[in-house]
Amino acid sequence: MSKPFYTNEYPTQLRRLIPDLLRGRELLFDLVWKDVRIRYRYAMLGLMWAVIEPLFMMLVLTFVISVVFQIQPGRRPENAGPGFDAVFILAGLLTWQFLAAALTSSARSLIDGENLVTKVNFPREVLPLAAIGSACVNLVIGLVLLSVLHLAFVGMPPATAGWAAALVLVVVLLAAGLGLLISTLNLAFRDVGYITNAALLFGFYATPVFYSPSMVENALAARDLDWLYPIYFANPMAGTITAIRDALFYGQTPSASLIAWPIACAAGSFAAGLIVFRRRAGTLADQV
Amino acid sequence: MAIIEVENVNKRFRSARGVRALLGRGGLPDLVRGRRAEEVTALEGITFSVDPGESVGLIGANGSGKSTLLKIIAGVTVPTEGSVRVYGRVASLLELGAGFHPLLSGRENVYLNAGIYGMRRAQVDAIFDCIAEFSGIGKFIDFPVATYSSGMYVRLGFAVAAHVNPDIFLIDEVLAVGDEEFQRKCRRRIGELIEQGKTMLFVSHDLAIINVLCRRVILLNRGRLIARDTPAKAIDFYLRQIGAPKGIHTLKQGPAEVVLCNGRISLYYRQEEITSPLGFRTQVSRLGGWRGSQDAEWTLTEVSETRCVARGYDAKLGLTHVWELGFDGGDFVWSVAYECAQPLDVEMLEATLFFGMAYTGWMYGEASGGFHDIVPDDTTWAPMMAAEILPEAAGILAADEQRQPSVSMTFENTGPLALGNWQNTDYLSKSRVFRLEERLGKGEALPSGTRKSFCFRFNLGSGRKEIERRSREQGLRRTVVSGRLQARFKRGQFEILYDDRLITTGVHGYASLLIQGLWNDSSNLRWERLERDGEALRAIGASRRFPFRMHWSIFPKSPGAIAWTIDLEALEDLDVQEYQASVLLVEEYARWTTATESGEFPPIRADDDDWVHLNRDYAVGSSVRAEGPGLPAVTLRNDEVDIPLRMTALNTGFHQRARVLQALRAADHGLIHFPRGTHQIFAGEIVVVPAGE
Repeated sequence: MSKPFYTNEYPTQLRRLIPDLLRGRELLFDLVWKDVRIRYRYAMLGLMWAVIEPLFMMLVLTFVISVVFQIQPGRRPENAGPGFDAVFILAGLLTWQFLAAALTSSARSLIDGENLVTKVNFPREVLPLAAIGSACVNLVIGLVLLSVLHLAFVGMPPATAGWAAALVLVVVLLAAGLGLLISTLNLAFRDVGYITNAALLFGFYATPVFYSPSMVENALAARDLDWLYPIYFANPMAGTITAIRDALFYGQTPSASLIAWPIACAAGSFAAGLIVFRRRAGTLADQV
Repeated sequence: MAIIEVENVNKRFRSARGVRALLGRGGLPDLVRGRRAEEVTALEGITFSVDPGESVGLIGANGSGKSTLLKIIAGVTVPTEGSVRVYGRVASLLELGAGFHPLLSGRENVYLNAGIYGMRRAQVDAIFDCIAEFSGIGKFIDFPVATYSSGMYVRLGFAVAAHVNPDIFLIDEVLAVGDEEFQRKCRRRIGELIEQGKTMLFVSHDLAIINVLCRRVILLNRGRLIARDTPAKAIDFYLRQIGAPKGIHTLKQGPAEVVLCNGRISLYYRQEEITSPLGFRTQVSRLGGWRGSQDAEWTLTEVSETRCVARGYDAKLGLTHVWELGFDGGDFVWSVAYECAQPLDVEMLEATLFFGMAYTGWMYGEASGGFHDIVPDDTTWAPMMAAEILPEAAGILAADEQRQPSVSMTFENTGPLALGNWQNTDYLSKSRVFRLEERLGKGEALPSGTRKSFCFRFNLGSGRKEIERRSREQGLRRTVVSGRLQARFKRGQFEILYDDRLITTGVHGYASLLIQGLWNDSSNLRWERLERDGEALRAIGASRRFPFRMHWSIFPKSPGAIAWTIDLEALEDLDVQEYQASVLLVEEYARWTTATESGEFPPIRADDDDWVHLNRDYAVGSSVRAEGPGLPAVTLRNDEVDIPLRMTALNTGFHQRARVLQALRAADHGLIHFPRGTHQIFAGEIVVVPAGE
């Protein structure tokens, strides 16, 4: 007897994960492409918004931090001008905004794709992954902006900039894992979507986006709360963004102690995300 | 090997925790109290398999689990227990245009949608034009889908789904979309797909479609599979179990079985279905719309093993169908009457008898023929013959009489206006049909009270030979014999045979009246009645256009002579410009002779379009005669000296290629005025003598 094309076990079998993802890759790209097109379809400036948004956000934060509070978000090298602060903030901002956008949209991905989930059989992973993918598109555009500003205000990036690029991939992996988890959990408990939003708001301040971890260290030490500092770094984004900046602005190869935990988090969440999602993939349609 | 295997499938839904809105339960308070969510069983112990190329229908009341089962097979959701195996690619037409995004153009959506069905871009490139063409969207294909009408939306959705070329189609209530034209297209496409050996699983509430499209039907009730059977039986079972059982009854006598089901009759003989799934039914046309017997609310009033009376009340028309069904000496008799409280204006009464595809030949009076195959391209019904006045009997012949019996039917107390014919249906209905229609005249209405209508008597055991014999008898009944001469009446014409050789052609013997510049040929009248009065044949034909009827009478005179009289019954005062009675002889006739002159029939050339008078003398005459080598001489005579007729010889145009003997009355001054009443307009005879006499 030939092998069945489909059995009710297929959607939940882990060993079919890779073939399913391969089968769904064109669909994945189609969905990402669709998402990008419709997002800016009727906007006059179109894809320009992917540049304007982070740029504007960067200017606001730089104004508040550097001008109003007169704080240097990061140690400025001697030859760097005030533009350095803006670029420094942008590097953290882009990374964080990517994670935030990816998680918010993947949390809704299955619910928004109800029409598909309840009508057609296809590898379900494609939907949250497409949400991550379309956030990636914005990230890439943002990174181009970052490179331009970096060249303009900071100068040639050091050779270690390659590490920064690799670390961005770690963030993408982390986002994918969390996105898969959140999307399926959000079906069972719609609370998860709200929790995610709250957590992201908290994370924005608990992550060195517009400041450096050394400020946190100093502030904690001043209050004899030194033990809190490692806990601060339990947030994988803290280590990642710090390491990215080290590589991008100070020519430092990221220290293993700094990036081991974020990499472990990313790998762990990605694996967990795929496994949990597979487990639940069969009955997603019942929950939408 | 089965292509779909469903084994012991159970499906339970939990009213999931966290979904407060659905039941108002399952929120945090319940979680704290440890109250478990309730479970709903949607499917229980479902086991069946589908073979490749089969089309199977799923029926059941709302909430019986049909759609859930389809979703499980489609892989949209998985069963709680049990297993499903599918050995082919599935396209689920669960909802058309699922996943269309309103802001994307039709073209972009086609690619996206086909991708969701599992197609590669390159594959879509190859069939994109077919999809666009089928959808009929035209230039709008590059407009955002948001600008589409809902009809265009589903059309595009169907076009994509129908072209992704899977092995198995799952179809859930999608045939009721789009306009009629598109529905026809859908049906044809589905017909083609079935023909191509695609496996189909249908869910529909339209039992008629299930009936027609499916070879097998699975009946679900509250999540359990309760029947697997042929469509007719499963549907009857369904209606009996779940539907209204009031209008259902089975009659039995010997091997014959009749199932009456709410305005539809199915006939079985030795368990074989004689009728197609659509059965026998009637309909009424009122104000241009049709109401079928199945639209009525049926109850049984008298019931026994071999007889029943059913009444179907159609509240919309205020009309009651009264059907009496019973066996009478081995025949099954079905008589139809209509009852209404107030006179009801209807245009047409019709009985439609759907026979199965196992029948290949038809008989109608002495005419007979074969049914051709019905192919997916047949989207309209195809008449096998023009509608004609009812003969004494008609019949349908089985290809294999060991399985289905040939059926002969006779008609009793039908109205004088009833016409019948045999037709093939379109591909989707796939039946041989006998249509009997009775058009009510203008201003005529169904009277208040009871009006008897059609009555059919079916003989199921008679066999082909018997039906053929009856048919020959019928032919004889329409034939007048005088010595070696025969005249056979055929719908406003009569053929003339001499020694069994046909000597007329085209429209044979016929008559025509010129009124207001229009020729009213007898062959175009509605022939309502044909009576045999001893040796004589009488027929009445009514004009559809002008207020008159023609009464013909044809009877033998001396051997070799047949008399032909025509009476004109003017229903109102009638002005006729001219009229004629003619006999069209075969082209071999060579010479013509009148009382005063004679001549040769010139050859008829390919560019001769019109009829040409050959004699020059237009005076009133008494006879005209034609002769030809080896042919009997034919004379058309006017016997009534009071009717001034010119007797002339003519050639027809090339496409008819006949020699004509004609008695013509022209109005020399103005019009021939016929006051209301009956007037004899022609009384003559046709005399045929052997050549040389």
